[in-house]
Amino acid sequence: MNSVIHSPLFGLLLTLASYRLGQWLYSRSHHHPLLHPLLVAAVPVSTILLLVNLDYEAYLRQTSLLHFLLGPATVALAWPLYRQLRSIRNVWQPVLVTTAVGAVLTVAIALLIAWLLAAPGEVLASLATKSITTPIAIETATLIGGYASLAAGIVAITGITGALAAPPVFRWLRITDDRVRGFTLGLVAHAIGTARAFEYSERAGAFASLALGLTGLLTALVLPWVWQGLP
Amino acid sequence: MLDGLLVLLLFQLLGELLVHYTGLPLPGPVAGMILLLCALLFRQAWLERVAPAAEMLLRHLTLLFFPVAVGVVMQWPRYAEHGLALAAAVVGGTLIALPLVALLMQKLVGRTQR
Repeated sequence: MNSVIHSPLFGLLLTLASYRLGQWLYSRSHHHPLLHPLLVAAVPVSTILLLVNLDYEAYLRQTSLLHFLLGPATVALAWPLYRQLRSIRNVWQPVLVTTAVGAVLTVAIALLIAWLLAAPGEVLASLATKSITTPIAIETATLIGGYASLAAGIVAITGITGALAAPPVFRWLRITDDRVRGFTLGLVAHAIGTARAFEYSERAGAFASLALGLTGLLTALVLPWVWQGLP
Repeated sequence: MLDGLLVLLLFQLLGELLVHYTGLPLPGPVAGMILLLCALLFRQAWLERVAPAAEMLLRHLTLLFFPVAVGVVMQWPRYAEHGLALAAAVVGGTLIALPLVALLMQKLVGRTQR
């Protein structure tokens, strides 16, 4: 029994089964952000790891296959980005300006709040990638001295907050244009926001995917340069 | 499927090499993504074979980063002392940024036809 617990089979099976359970609940709830598979699957995984007394580092080693696949998955983001770029010919200017201003704004506001509350450098570095898609966030946050797992958790909570708050915000501001709703969701709340955008319409989803790709790309390109220049 | 995986791994390798030899401050896979995007924009038809593998990986992205993300729960004692700053920055920051981004996009896109 002990040898089974300490083989990759255990960690991978536990992860896949918990994720499948989370995915099932998520689709049953019509993709409610609070039932995102990431949150739901964390419950059985963390409970069972505690029960069998397997430490987190060992679990991480067992599931290193999944972590490896984040590399090709990051490269794969080029594909939806390429597909969406063809659909924005007449609005490329607002799209680029909003991406540039919005990406800086989301990061700057979060960093300012955390800095005022005396968060140390590693925590700030993990916050700086909060609005970009997780594979790029993990790699970029690590590159600038943040914690991979904290960055991934921050991205998840950002996505859930954004997806929950966006519909009331859009109603409050009387925003009905699906291009605006989709692009905002993708820029602020990455993949979780994109899933929400597809519920408005196909068009909103396309703009959300585009925002997700452009924001991730821009942040990965600019953030390490800017971070080097900071005191 | 296999062709797609081959293309993705090949471009990841190219990205890693580019970063290694130029010293660019960029994660290797992100450099690979940029290279693949450029190649696709030059309309290399054979590259469209990347689609099945790319779509499969991206559909289950949550599964791929799950073991890393669950670390926040497992290692929470390490981050607990910054809990307030984290919660305020993540939730508060997102709630402030959301209407600002929406209004900006609305203003810029308003003049173009739907």
